[in-house]
Amino acid sequence: MAGTTTELRGGRVYDPTHGIDGEIRSVYLRDGVIVAAPADPADIRETYDLSGCVVMAGGVDIHTHIGGGKVNLARMMLPEDHRGDLVPRGRHPRMGCGHVAPSTHTVGYRYAEMGYTACFEPAMLAANARQAHMEMADTPIVDKGAYVLLGSDDLLLRMLAGKEAGAKVRDYVAWTLHAAQAMAIKVVNPGGINAFKFNQRKLDLDEQNAYYGVTPRQVLLSLADAIRELGLPHPLHIHGCNLGVPGNKDTTLATIAALDGLPAHLTHVQFHSYGAEGDRKFSSGAAEIAEAVNRSPNISMDVGQILFGQTVTESGDSMRQYAGSAFGSPKKSVLMDIECDAGCGVVPFRYKDKNFVNALQWAIGLELFLLVRDPWRLFLTTDHPNGAPFTSYPHLIRLLMDRSFRNDMLKTLNPDAAAASTLASLEREYTLYEIAIMTRAGPARSLGLHNLGHLGVGARGDVAVYVDHPDRERMFTTPRYVFKAGELIVRDGRVIAAPTGATHVVRVDYDRGIEKTIGDYFERYMTVSPGNLAVADSELEDAGRGSIIRHGARRTA
Amino acid sequence: MPDQLAQNPEEKTLHRAVTCPFCGLLCDKLTVEASRGELRATGNACPKAERAYARTLPAAAPAVNGKPVELDTALAAAARLLKRSRQPLLGGLGTDVDGTRAALALAERCGGIVDHLHGRALARNVRVLQTRGYATTTLAEVRNRADLVVLCGVDINDDFHNFASTCLRPADALVPERLAARRLFHLGPAKQAPRHPGLGVEQVACGADELLETVNALRALRAGRQVRLKGKRLQALAGIIAALAASEYAVFVWAPGQLGDDGDLLISAVCDLVNDINRDKRAAGLALGGNDGGQSALATCAWQTGYPLHVSYAGTVLDYDPLRHDTARLLASGEVDALLWVSTFRPVAPPDSALPLIVIGTPGTPVRATNSVFLPAGTPGLDHRGQLIRTDAVVALPLPQLRDSALPAAATLLHELLTRLG
Repeated sequence: MAGTTTELRGGRVYDPTHGIDGEIRSVYLRDGVIVAAPADPADIRETYDLSGCVVMAGGVDIHTHIGGGKVNLARMMLPEDHRGDLVPRGRHPRMGCGHVAPSTHTVGYRYAEMGYTACFEPAMLAANARQAHMEMADTPIVDKGAYVLLGSDDLLLRMLAGKEAGAKVRDYVAWTLHAAQAMAIKVVNPGGINAFKFNQRKLDLDEQNAYYGVTPRQVLLSLADAIRELGLPHPLHIHGCNLGVPGNKDTTLATIAALDGLPAHLTHVQFHSYGAEGDRKFSSGAAEIAEAVNRSPNISMDVGQILFGQTVTESGDSMRQYAGSAFGSPKKSVLMDIECDAGCGVVPFRYKDKNFVNALQWAIGLELFLLVRDPWRLFLTTDHPNGAPFTSYPHLIRLLMDRSFRNDMLKTLNPDAAAASTLASLEREYTLYEIAIMTRAGPARSLGLHNLGHLGVGARGDVAVYVDHPDRERMFTTPRYVFKAGELIVRDGRVIAAPTGATHVVRVDYDRGIEKTIGDYFERYMTVSPGNLAVADSELEDAGRGSIIRHGARRTA
Repeated sequence: MPDQLAQNPEEKTLHRAVTCPFCGLLCDKLTVEASRGELRATGNACPKAERAYARTLPAAAPAVNGKPVELDTALAAAARLLKRSRQPLLGGLGTDVDGTRAALALAERCGGIVDHLHGRALARNVRVLQTRGYATTTLAEVRNRADLVVLCGVDINDDFHNFASTCLRPADALVPERLAARRLFHLGPAKQAPRHPGLGVEQVACGADELLETVNALRALRAGRQVRLKGKRLQALAGIIAALAASEYAVFVWAPGQLGDDGDLLISAVCDLVNDINRDKRAAGLALGGNDGGQSALATCAWQTGYPLHVSYAGTVLDYDPLRHDTARLLASGEVDALLWVSTFRPVAPPDSALPLIVIGTPGTPVRATNSVFLPAGTPGLDHRGQLIRTDAVVALPLPQLRDSALPAAATLLHELLTRLG
C-alpha cells in the first residue's frame, strides 16, 4: 500500500505563529492539511527536497481590490493598459490580461504564482455584493472573502440621526454582513460618501452631514462598537476621512484617539499620513502616525505603499476620488453615486519618481513600514491597485529587507522629496521572519482565519517554497513550489493546477427582529427587495463554483 | 423570496418578489402566478413583462437541419460544426451570467469572437467610458435624491416602463422635499415622451437628429453663452435652465440602444454637462439599457477578459476591437465561418447569413432548415434560476425558476459543447 503523506524536507521554515524562525525541518501534508510526522516512514508517498529553500505558509493579502463594480469599471476603462500585459494562450489555464486592472482568472493565477493563497476584497458594497462574489468566483486557486461597506448608507445615517439604540445598529450591521456574505465591515470616508451626494466636498471627523447631522466620529464609533459587541474576528476596517489631503495626519491621529481603545484596523495609512509643512505644504507625518500606532495596541494597519509607474485608483471614496480626478492620467475618470448605499470613483494615475509629491508618498510609506515596530499589527499591501499592482509585492519586500537597495533607489528620486524624508537614516531591514508575519501570519490572525497563515498541525496545506536568494525581489517573484490544500499548484513560478478556492464568510448571532425595520425601509425607499439583495449560499456554491467556509464570532478568553 | 415550486403542476403557485429579466431595469417586485406551466405576471408588471411572461412556448425539440432529433444527436452535430470552424462568432448572447461564462469558455476553446445582440448600443457607452469617463448614478439614487430628471432622447413607454413608477414619481423618498420639488423633462420627439398617466413631464420637443445640438445648447446656455436655435426649443430650454438653477441633484438619462450609431457623441455631450454642474453642485448621468442580458454579458466579459465584449480569442492573445468585432461587420466581411447564436429571453432570429448555424434559443426562435442545429433552451428566471446585472452596472439580482419546463439552461448546453470539443 502506497503512503499517503507528502514530506517537504530540508527547507528553512518560517512559521511565526509557532515562533519558528528559520529552523530546518520538515512539513508534512496529507488530505489537504498539515500533519505531524507520520509514525511509520512508509506512510510517506513523496518527498520534496527543499534544501536551500525557504518555506512559509501561503500568503494572505488582507486588502486587495480584486472584485466588484469599481474593479470592473477600471477593467472596461483601460484597454490600453491591458494591451501591454496580455496573457498568451497556454501560459495559464485561461487567457486574460494583467497589470493594473487584471482579469479575474489572471488575478488568481498571478497571486498563486507569487505564493499567495488567500486574498480579501476590502470594499464590497451590499448593493453590489452579488457581482463581487461572481467575480471572485471566477478568480481561481486563491481563497477569497470580502468586507462589506457601511457608514455612508442612508439607513445607518437615519438610525444615527434618529438616535436609534445601539442594539438596532448592531443587528443591522450583522444583517448586512450576512446578506452580503462578508468577512468583515469596512467604512470608507465615514459618512463622507453620503455627504458628497449632498454636495459636501470635505467632511472632517467632527463635521456634520448636511442632511442627517451625523458626524464621521459618530459613524466610526457606532460601527466599531457594534463590531466589538458582535464579536466579529476582524475589527472595523477603516479608510478614514480626508484621504490624500495634505495635513491629514491630524485627522488620522484624531481618529486613533477617538477610537479610545476600541479595536480597529486602519487601512492604506500611507494615504493618511501627510503633513502640510515645507515650501510645498506637503510633508511626511509618518513618524507621528507610527508613534501613535506603536502606543495603541488596539490598532492594526496596512500601509498601501505606492510604487512608481502607471496604475489605476479604485475607491469607494467618491468624494476624494472626485477631487483626485483632476490629477488623473490618462485623463478620464468614473464617479458613481450608488443606490443610497455607497459610491465609487475610478481614476487612472501614474506615480512619477521625479515628482515631489509622489516621491514623498513613496518615502512616507516606507517610513511607516520601518517605524511601526510590531509586524503583527502592520500588514504588507499596496492597496492594489491604488498604490501599485499586487504583482509588485516582491519589489516592495526587497525595499524593506535591503537597506542599500532602498537607499540607492532613494537617490534616484526627486531630490527635494528625498531631503524631506528621514528614510535614508532608517537602518531597519526586515527579516524573513517579519516578512512572514506581515504577509501571512498577521493578516490570517487579524481576520480570524485559524487554519491559514501558519504551518502548524491542522492548518490547511497552503505552503509556499522559495529559493533562498539574496535578491529578495527575485526570490519572492518566483516560488519553487506552491501547494494549495496539499496539492502542488505552482512549480518554478508557473501554475500547473488551478483548483477552486473557497469563500470565507463570518456568521454571528443577532436579533432577526431587525429584518422588519430593513424590510419596511426597502419596501418604502429602495428599488430591490431585501430578500433579493441577500446573496444565497447556493449562489456561491452551486455549479461547482466553490465552497463556503463559515467563521463564527471571535473566540473569547 | 419566491415560494417553493408547487409539487403538483395542476396547482396554482404564486411567486412573489420575482425578478423580471425582460429589460435592463430588472424590476424585482413582480408577482407571478404559475399554473400548468403557464405564467401570468400580476403585481408590478409592466405591459412588456405581462406579454413576455404570458408567451406560450411552442413545442420545441432539438433539431438538425430542421429535423427533430435527440438532444445528444443535436449536441454532437453542433460540436462537429464547431470543430470544423476556424473562427466562429458567438453572437446574441441573450443569456444570464452563467450562460455568458460558458460562452466565453467555449469561445476560448474554439478561437471564437464574442458579441452581444446589443453590442453596438453597449459599445456607445463604453466608448465614452474609455475616452473621457463619466459621473453616473443608480436607480435608488434617482428615486430618493433627484429633484430634476432630464430624459435625453429616451422612450420609456415599452422598455424601461417602470422607470416612471420606480424612480421618477415614487410614492415616497428618503429626501421627501426633493421628491416634492422634482421636475421631469423629456428632450426629443413628442411621440416618444412618456405616456404614463399623471407623470407630469415637461416636453422639450426636438427631432432625434437635433438631440445633440439641443444638449450642447443647454450646456452653452447654462454657461451664460449666447445660443441660436431653430423653433421653440430655446424657450423650452429656458425651463430646464431655471430648474437647474434650483436643483441640488440633477439626473440626465440616456438610452444607448435608442440612439444612432453616433450616439456616443450625445452621451459625451450629456456627460460634459454633468461635469460642468458637478463643479459646484451635484448631477449625474444614468444609462438605460442592457436588455436581453446585455449588461451581464458586458460585465462578465469584462471581468473574465478585461474587455467589454467584442473580444476575439482567435490569436495567441485576446484581441479587443469594438469596430472589427461587430456582428454585422463580421458576417458581411466573411471573417467568421460559423455562427453560434444565443437568444433565451425572446425568440430573436439570428442575423441572415449562409454560415453554418447553431442556435441556442427559447422555443420559437426562428432557425433556418439547412446547415443548422437548434438547441432549445430555457429562459433564465422562468425555466431555471440564474443571475443578471441591472442597467446601472451595480445591482445584480437572482432569478427564480417559475415552472418546470425541462428546458436546459444555455450554460448547460454550452458546457456540453465544450466537453464534446475535448
